[in-house]
Amino acid sequence: MKLSVIQLTVANVRKDLRLEWRSRDVLNSMLFFALLVVVIFSFTFEPTAEESRRLAGGLIWTAFLFSTTMALNQSWARELRNGVLDAYRVAPAPAEALFFGKCLGNFLLVLLLECLMAPLFVLFYNLRSVGPYWQLIVVFLLGTWALVVNGTFFAAMSIRTRNRELMLPLLLLPISIPAVNHMVSATTKVLTGESSPVSDIKFLTAYCVIYTTVSFLLFETVLNAE
Amino acid sequence: MKTPAFYLLLLITLGLLAWGTYQAIAVAPAEATMGDAQRIFYYHVPAATAASILFGVNFLASIWYLLKRSQQADALAVSAAEVGVVFFGVVLISGPIWARYAWGTFWVWDARLTTSLILWLLYVSYLVLRSSSEAGSTSVLAASLAIFAALDMPIVYMSNRWFRTNHPQPMIGTPNLNPEMQKVLLWNMLAFVLFSMLIAWFRYDLERTSQKINALHVKKASQGSMALTALAPAMLLLADDKLLREKAIQHHYMVAGYTAVWTIYIGYLLFLFAKLQRLKREGQEVGL
Repeated sequence: MKLSVIQLTVANVRKDLRLEWRSRDVLNSMLFFALLVVVIFSFTFEPTAEESRRLAGGLIWTAFLFSTTMALNQSWARELRNGVLDAYRVAPAPAEALFFGKCLGNFLLVLLLECLMAPLFVLFYNLRSVGPYWQLIVVFLLGTWALVVNGTFFAAMSIRTRNRELMLPLLLLPISIPAVNHMVSATTKVLTGESSPVSDIKFLTAYCVIYTTVSFLLFETVLNAE
Repeated sequence: MKTPAFYLLLLITLGLLAWGTYQAIAVAPAEATMGDAQRIFYYHVPAATAASILFGVNFLASIWYLLKRSQQADALAVSAAEVGVVFFGVVLISGPIWARYAWGTFWVWDARLTTSLILWLLYVSYLVLRSSSEAGSTSVLAASLAIFAALDMPIVYMSNRWFRTNHPQPMIGTPNLNPEMQKVLLWNMLAFVLFSMLIAWFRYDLERTSQKINALHVKKASQGSMALTALAPAMLLLADDKLLREKAIQHHYMVAGYTAVWTIYIGYLLFLFAKLQRLKREGQEVGL
């Protein structure tokens, strides 16, 4: 039976989501971690409604960035047990399907986290979007993809190193600085309604396209690095 | 390393470094408002040029490695990245010392400074990856990361959020730069680019030796680490807040800047010599 890349990708996503659904280790720890970040931030800053609109973009993305890092580490660490990763490497299925499946799985997981956390941010920081809120949806979809696609790639890289989990943020954060910068600025622009986030959205789109392409091109090399 | 070409380059470089420094300190005219403090410029800009060239070399060598899996390309990539980080470290240290005088603050989050810092962080992360990945896969993983890092640079520069900049614009060939100063700058640029190539060559030979030892001796021979910690004293010199724009103080800035720069270069060279000694010992043990 020969499966197409799309079927294989779907199989990978379903497998990842089912594993996650049954164990819920990643989602639970991510959620709790993001919650802690929100609480600690609001203790340390105690912003007024006006200030929090300015700060929120940065706070939201910092919380998501760090909890995404946790999720990404787990997504590959899970494959190390029982030599699953080696099985992938000898399997005739294209590595791209595995990578794309992992990215989509992580993307859905992080989106779910964001949907669950959004009400909390609104509640704790008394947020109300002055600009058109649908733009936030575009920013969050692009921003999350930018984090997840690079993160999945670098997580695959960092589990090959000696200090595994520690390595991911060291590799991911420098590369992501420009993207994070634009996510934060777009979010702040929409929340304060002061200017249009279109230029940031264009930037994020370009960033996603470039890094999705490079990750796909290099993933097989990294997976098989010996 | 024991080739006559290396020693010739060493002699030329040392001569040019002495000549360039002499020109920078004694020949170049004093700048109207910044006086001697401006002379940091002759060390700052050439280091940036040298580092940019080295990062370019790292990118090309990494692509070459992924295509051909050549050990030479890998050694070239790691040498270029490491020496590039040191030279860029010089840029990031000498810049703030000058800025403390010219702007009254060590650091501002402006376009040029932020992008430079990100560039430096990217290559530090490259070196961290190299030093902690498992022996077999290091080169492939590092080469992939080098491609990501090189692609990030145009993106970082495109990033227009930090469009306000206090940093002086490039001045070579423009009427903004005094021709006398330009001449001194170009001498120093030549000197420091050659200096960086010389160190990179030395580092490359070390890496090749290390690869050969590794081939015999599966254990990893060495780990890269940065020799950038010796800077605190130079920074403390400048901690005084109530600075007057006097000649003597301008001079202190220049001295502090030059001291910090040479502390980094010499510190790194000492690090490389220590590594050389270690490799020699290991080489003898395995009979290379």
